[in-house]
This record gives sequence, C-alpha cells and structure tokens, in this order.
Amino acid sequence: MLRLENVTKIYDGGVVAVKDVALDINKGEFVFLVGPSGSGKSTLIRLMMREELPTNGEIWIAGKHASALSPWKVPQLRRSIGTVFQDFKLLPSKTVYENVAFAMEVTGKSRSAINTQVPQVLKLVGLSAMADRYPRSLSGGEQQRVSMARAFVNRPLILLADEPTGNLDPATSVGIMRILDRINRTGTTVVMATHDHAIVDAMRRRVVQLERGRVMRDESRGVYGGSGTVDEPERPEEHDVTDDDGTMNPATAETVIEEGTNEAADAAEALEAAGEREDA
Amino acid sequence: MTSLSYSLREAFTNISRNGLVVVGAVLAVFVSLTLTFGTLVIGEVVRVNTLQWSEDVRVSAYLRDDVSPSGITELQAEMESWEEVDEVFFMSKAASLSEARILLANRPAALRVIEDDPSIVPASLRIKPVDAADYQTIVTRAEAMPGTLRVESAGEVIDGMISLRDGLQIMSLFLAVALGAAAVALIANTIHMAIYSRREEIEIMNLVGASNWFVRTPFLLEGAIEGFIGAGLAVAVVVAGLRVAGNQLTDLPEWINIQIQSDYLLQTGVLVLIFGVVAGLVGSGLSLAVHKYLKT
Repeated sequence: MLRLENVTKIYDGGVVAVKDVALDINKGEFVFLVGPSGSGKSTLIRLMMREELPTNGEIWIAGKHASALSPWKVPQLRRSIGTVFQDFKLLPSKTVYENVAFAMEVTGKSRSAINTQVPQVLKLVGLSAMADRYPRSLSGGEQQRVSMARAFVNRPLILLADEPTGNLDPATSVGIMRILDRINRTGTTVVMATHDHAIVDAMRRRVVQLERGRVMRDESRGVYGGSGTVDEPERPEEHDVTDDDGTMNPATAETVIEEGTNEAADAAEALEAAGEREDA
Repeated sequence: MTSLSYSLREAFTNISRNGLVVVGAVLAVFVSLTLTFGTLVIGEVVRVNTLQWSEDVRVSAYLRDDVSPSGITELQAEMESWEEVDEVFFMSKAASLSEARILLANRPAALRVIEDDPSIVPASLRIKPVDAADYQTIVTRAEAMPGTLRVESAGEVIDGMISLRDGLQIMSLFLAVALGAAAVALIANTIHMAIYSRREEIEIMNLVGASNWFVRTPFLLEGAIEGFIGAGLAVAVVVAGLRVAGNQLTDLPEWINIQIQSDYLLQTGVLVLIFGVVAGLVGSGLSLAVHKYLKT
C-alpha cells in the first residue's frame, strides 16, 4: 500500500530530514511513526501524501509511483489518502456537517452520496448530535473527530495522521485512538506519527522508530521506547524541521485503550458491512 | 454542471468579500476601455467624414463626363508638374460611387439621388499638395483647367479634424495601454487577495484531492467577471455619449456626419467586451501562476 525505497529528503539549505529510509506498509496495517521532534516523522508523512518529493529514492502510494507522478495527477492520488493533523484544519465558517461534506463536494461527489455518507461518518466519530455546530464551539477532541470524519468520508485506502493527539489531553486522546482503530478495522491502512508513549504502548501495533531521519527500529507489535532505547535522544536543533512541540505524556503511560462506545462500534460495523469503498 | 454553478457561486462570494478592491479593478478596466473604445469611435467618425481626404489629399477636381481617358491622363500629368503639387490620384466613377454611398449613408435624400442615377457621380482627380496650406493656389489653378467640373478643397475644418484625430489617437493609445496594464495588475491584486482569504479552503481542497481546475476556476471566473463588468460599463458610456453628442451637436455643418454605422459600433463593442474578459483572465492567471497556496 505504501512503499518507500531508499528515500532521502534534503530541504533547501541542506537540512537532511529523512535519510535512506526503506519502508513497506501493507494494506490494512496500523503503523506508528515514533521519534523525537525533528527525527523526520512529519517529513515522512508529507512524503507519503506527496506533499513533498524525495530528493533521492522512490515512493509508491496506493499502487501509484508517487515520486514520478506528474503534478496534475496528484489530486487523483490524494483521493485515496485521508489526512489528519495536530491543528485539525477545520473551516471556521462551516458547520461540522459542512466541513465533512466539503471533502466530498470539492471532489465532485453527488449530493445524494453526500447526504448518505456524511451522517454515517459523523455517527462513526460520535458527532451526530453536533452536526450543526461550528468548530469554535467544540472542544479540541471534538474538532479532531470532525477532521477525522472529513479525512475518512471519501473512504481513502490510506489514512495519514500527523500527531493527531498532539494538542489533546490523554483522556481525549483515547477517544481519538478508538476512532482510528475503528477506521483501521474497515481495512484502511493507518500511519500515525506521534511521540505519545502511552498511546503507542497501549495499542501494541507496528512501530517504526526514527532518529535523525533514519529508521532505527521497525517492530511488528512494538512499544514506544523499544528494547534498550527508552530515553528520548537530545533534541537536535539543526534537524528541527517539524512543528512538533516536543512534549510527552509519560504520566499517562498507564492509560489503557478501552473498548469503543456502542455508537461508534455500530457505525463501524455498518461501514464494514456496506463495504463500499469509493473507487481509488 | 454542479461544478460550474459552484465556481460561479464562489466567484461572486469572492467579489462580495473584497468589495472596494474589486471596485478599483473594475474602474481601471472601465477607464482604460472607455478611452480605447472612445478613441476608436471618434477615429471612425473622423474617418467617415474625411474619407475623400485620406492619403493627405486636400483638393478634389471633379471631371466632366466628356473628358476622354487620354484627356484625363494628360490633365493628371499636367497637374503633377505643378510645383505646389506632390501627387495626383485618379478616382474612377465606380470608385467615387462607392465612396459617395459611405459619405451619404445617413442622408437618405441625397443617397436616393445617386442611387436613381449613379452616372451623375463624376470621376475625379485627387490632389495631394506639397504643403497642405497651399491648397488655395491649387484650387484656383485647377478650376482654370478645361475638363474640370468643380473643385473642392478640404479646408481648415477637415485639417483640424485630421490633426485632432492623430493627436487623440496617440495620446489615447498611450493612456489606454498604461491604464490597461494597471487594470490587469489591479485584477491580479483582487485575485491575490481572494486566494489569500481562502487559503485554508484551498489547502483542504488540495489535501482531499480537488482537481486543479476545480480549485482555480472560481478565481479565473472572478477575474473574467470583473473584466466583463468594466468593459460593459465602458461600452455603455461610449454608446450613450455618442447618442448624447448626436442629439446635442445639432448646429454642426450639414456635411459633418456624427452618426456612425451601428455595425461598426456592434462589432467594436463586442471586441471591447472580449478584451475586458481577456484582461480579467490574464490578471487572474498571473495571480494564480505566482501564488504559493496553489503550488502543486
């Protein structure tokens, strides 16, 4: 689903953000990209959504040779990728419903498709009751759930999440992870960049650890620190090309990801049963 | 279909959001195209009224029908030998008839006379003086020649009109080009602001895979609409101005014809509208080409 071959990204000015990364992510996998600020997580996410092109190496996304794709084909590629960011990127002048519907409108989906899909996805993220609210009246966690609904509403093959819980408190983060898990269970490949130990340790999914732009560890059911490299390395200023704030939540290490709410579970099942994935 | 109505809706939303800047851009298009269109129309009025005085001809010697072709050639050679004459052109009866039809287009009574008997339109020799001020000498000498029926000179009014037209055209061309460039730049600026105020939406559109055209069309349409409104105002003002001039300037000499053919107005007006739309598209295209929020 995602394949990186010897990918190196050097930004203008010679900052090496990603160095010689090889990574193969299969359909339906859930992968954490972990590492300190400036380790290259965000750059890797941007490469995976073809927001950046690698300086060296090749990238395949959803079966397409992304590093050799002509710019006018990028929008088509983006339709098979959903993206979630730390800062939510919601439109303040649109309601929750309109924010989610926007992703379908601008990709030319029919009104009837919008009218059926949007309520379904809002149910999945547990925001059915808030469809008519504006983002500013929602909590951070609720806003992030809107952004996840928007990322998922076009049924992408891949969901890329860059620090989705970075602005949220631990309890709220649990809710976000529950939804990501639901989305993953519909068969969507999920890649999430984070430096939240508690979440990574609790989920027990594949962990790719980056350090100074290189893959230091790749474990199929890993924890954040991995074997022997528990301490976060010193923050390397000269490599700091991301917006990461560098905060961690070690106090929440005991937080356990609980079972999803009934509402979310029902919605996820409904989606799985429907099994209708928009043509990528 | 949905996408076109979406683009139009978004374009009008952009226009209403940046009211003052849009008004500035539209005004620049309007002033630039009013000058251009106005100059073209005045040029046409002068051209129609000075048709027989083009090529610097200032004296027309109409010939009697009984002068033979060889007689005409002799007369032409004779006149060309005069030191105050630069050149002499021969205008046949047929050519004179088509010229008369244009000159008399708005004087139905006179037109009917020549249509009833086209042979009454005489052939003529058109004389270009070395110095335009010398026309009176030429008129006197030509009238003395056998074979001339009647001699007409352009006179000072025609001279004035022609030099006015030439001066006006140069000045207006300069102003129209300068203001046209300003109009394109101002449209580019409004589009720039529209893109900036929508940068979040554009970012999300790019993220979820909206096609490049889907993202850009509203901005192109906005530029085209602004150009069209400016051009429409220019056409309206010039046409109205021509009407008013036609009604007010009633004490002009009979032979000055301020009406110009509506075909000319229509064709030129449509061209001006197209030009306005193109200027709008160029302005927004420039803005779209350089804007960082639209890079792919």
